[in-house]
Amino acid sequence: MEGCPRNREIGPKLLDLIPQGRKWYQEDKNNIDQEKKLELRLGPPGGDEEDHSAMKKKNNNTETRNIKMESEDKSFQGFNSNHFSSSNKTSQKRTAPGPVVGWPPVRSFRKNLASTSSSKLGNESSHGGQINKSNDDGEKQVEPKREGMFVKINMDGVPIGRKVDLNAYNSYEQLSFAVDKLFRGLLAAQRESSGGEGEEKPIIGLLDGKGEFTLTYEDNEGDKMLVGDVPWQMFVSSVKRLRVIKSSEISSALTFGCSSKQEKMRH
Amino acid sequence: MTQDRSEMSEDDDDKQSPPLDLRSAAIAEPSSSSSSSSVVVVVDSTPNKSRNCISSSSSGSLTSQPFPDHVLENVLENVLQFLDSRCDRNAASLVCKSWWRVEASTRSEVFIGNCYALSPARLTQRFKRVSSFVLKGKPRFADFNLMPPDWGANFAPWVSTMAKAYPWLEKVDLKRMFVTDDDLALLADSFPGFKELILVCCEGFGTSGIAIVANKCRKLKVLDLIESEVTDDEVDWISCFPEDVTCLESLAFDCVEAPINFKALEGLVARSPFLKKLRLNRFVSLVELHRLLLGAPQLTSLGTGSFSHDEEPQSEQEPDYAAAFSACKSVVCLSGFRELMPEYLPAIYPVCANLTSLNFSYANISPDMFKPIIQNCHKLQVFWALDSICDEGLQAVAETCKELRELRIFPFDPREDSEGPVSEVGLQAISEGCRKLESILYFCQRMTNAAVIAMSENCPELTVFRLCIMGRHRPDHVTGKPMDEGFGAIVKNCKKLTRLAVSGLLTDQAFRYMGEYGKLVRTLSVAFAGDSDMALRHVLEGCPRLQKLEIRDSPFGDAALRSGMHRYYNMRFVWMSACSLSRGCCKDIASAMPNLVVEVIGSDDDDENRDYVETLYMYRSLDGPRKDAPKFVAIL
Repeated sequence: MEGCPRNREIGPKLLDLIPQGRKWYQEDKNNIDQEKKLELRLGPPGGDEEDHSAMKKKNNNTETRNIKMESEDKSFQGFNSNHFSSSNKTSQKRTAPGPVVGWPPVRSFRKNLASTSSSKLGNESSHGGQINKSNDDGEKQVEPKREGMFVKINMDGVPIGRKVDLNAYNSYEQLSFAVDKLFRGLLAAQRESSGGEGEEKPIIGLLDGKGEFTLTYEDNEGDKMLVGDVPWQMFVSSVKRLRVIKSSEISSALTFGCSSKQEKMRH
Repeated sequence: MTQDRSEMSEDDDDKQSPPLDLRSAAIAEPSSSSSSSSVVVVVDSTPNKSRNCISSSSSGSLTSQPFPDHVLENVLENVLQFLDSRCDRNAASLVCKSWWRVEASTRSEVFIGNCYALSPARLTQRFKRVSSFVLKGKPRFADFNLMPPDWGANFAPWVSTMAKAYPWLEKVDLKRMFVTDDDLALLADSFPGFKELILVCCEGFGTSGIAIVANKCRKLKVLDLIESEVTDDEVDWISCFPEDVTCLESLAFDCVEAPINFKALEGLVARSPFLKKLRLNRFVSLVELHRLLLGAPQLTSLGTGSFSHDEEPQSEQEPDYAAAFSACKSVVCLSGFRELMPEYLPAIYPVCANLTSLNFSYANISPDMFKPIIQNCHKLQVFWALDSICDEGLQAVAETCKELRELRIFPFDPREDSEGPVSEVGLQAISEGCRKLESILYFCQRMTNAAVIAMSENCPELTVFRLCIMGRHRPDHVTGKPMDEGFGAIVKNCKKLTRLAVSGLLTDQAFRYMGEYGKLVRTLSVAFAGDSDMALRHVLEGCPRLQKLEIRDSPFGDAALRSGMHRYYNMRFVWMSACSLSRGCCKDIASAMPNLVVEVIGSDDDDENRDYVETLYMYRSLDGPRKDAPKFVAIL
């Protein structure tokens, strides 16, 4: 770069960039332009950034206090430009300071306060309906108006129950996939400890009755149903808890239930 | 009082632990011959010494004395029994072979700060008479979903090894461990004299596991489930306690999200004459609480459950809650209020004057509701609350609570762009009113350097300073400057500071201060801060006592990581996520430091060949890398 004739035309700016990159920004007094310059400079991910990343880091972050104050893009500077991943997390940050996983660092059980106490007392309770709980389960879909909807899910043969956030999914397929992820390892461990093979097998066929296991749920009236019959949104609004049962036991599980207080026949 | 404080402090750590809990654990078993001088291998990792030094034992000198070794060891045993602090014990064990042996046979309380630093077998080989066991698992950032589930920290191998080695085990205290119902069952079966089970921030088990413990541990004194995730297996675990009089002294289940059989609970409390601490979950209503209080006036620590009603109470039959509270003359620690109905709050007036610890952190209380309460709490030392009390409420605390040692203010609305009812005003007030403050955790949306500096000057006893300005990279909202000077003043003026968590807009300068002045800092949490590698280098090249370093989303890269290689053996762990590290550098470090386990944790979509490191978690280990790492963890 130093030897390039074209750069000499541009003048000292670029040359200065190398030994003392700060000047690049000190010369710019116009804050409005600076924000735009930042966006331009960052450009698309990958490519150039890799070579200049180290330099950019220094350039971005030193002597740019004014920019940092105003710009919400600060989070995209420096370290983010080094994120080679194309995860939604990074791409979200580019457009708005969207929620970040685990920030602010408040444990999940402290996040549900608005829903339990907002009706009792008004102080900040106007925020009650707007708490963003997507931090708990990944932040790929940000829906600030909806709260996380956690339902318990148990699986036959696995003593440990889990919880799933139904608001994180949009379809039965996604839910089914999540169930596989949640329980695959646990099921294998359980089988291993009871003398079977501990190999992890994917849990498939949860929705069509063809797999070893089937996904069922208990709705708000206490009825036990197979998952997948009603439209997704209707399911989400009525489901109270989930259970993964052995497909061979479908009929008995649905008629007699397992430790449910209300036993209703499924029609 | 310390008892109650350690109950509440989530991250209470033994402040006495030396940099090397494991230093003496590396000592090889001494040979059986005692007359010849034996060789003791010590992994000595103090920065200026070489990593392995060999010192000979003193048994050569012993043989020249008329007393045989075993008499001396008897004497030693009697003396060493009085050593409680593990810091002292670790030091004693390094004196010579025979001291090592005697110390190992007399240590009854073992603390393991990282479950992967050593194998269970090593524990049982060295210590033969353990009755109390403290074990910590996952790193703290796992609490904030920065680590995929099923990462590890399984209690299973520990309990199964100890079941055979320590049949007289009495106490197990776990933090951030994955504990299954089977583990609990094994525990209940294997230790007939088992007395205390404390599970903090644990998960993997449910009410069925708790039921087994309740049923089989007949000598159980303490069952504390604190901030743990407990699955509702729809088991009536309260009814599983034995029918006769129990030994229960402490029962805490406020984190259990499952209804309980109240009648059984009432019966249990009635037949637990030694019960001092009772923390109810939110499924216990006010009316039920009232009945319990009438039956247990001896309580010293009370978690009040929901503090509300389900259905409309009839006013004629409404119990006299204040009377019930005034009968509890011994209550000094109050928490709960999970679904607070604020009109009933005045019922606690009778106990306010005695309170040393008050936890309102689940109660959305306005300043007007709060002030009349706090004005009575002159003895308060530990106070947790939501920011709903506002700066005004904090001013009231500052006016009254002159004995305050620990303050935690949590956000009611934990989002970056929420309103933020507390600010530098509250912090300043607290610093002026509560001069004895030792520990603070403060969530806010805006802050100034001036207030932080004021706190550094007014509160010289501070050992823990954790400030979380929720908006990332927020500067001082009055001056527009970074928060460097504020945090700098904290490390400079608070000479006893051991734990620091920073936030807001911070440049490398802040870290230069930390490195220069943070002489006693053991735990450092950094998020969205710093400009360059220099920041991390300042910390790694300064801060001589640094043990636990957790960093996220900060622009620190390979050069910075390499600059700390001289000290990673002296630390418990380093966590760096969403920084600028490359896999190659981590691999280099792993090769150069064989006793360091370098874990690279990626999300499920990760391509294994990618060079970028999403999360680095590294820690020293005596027994090499763990065997139970899941697929998304690569151990380099």
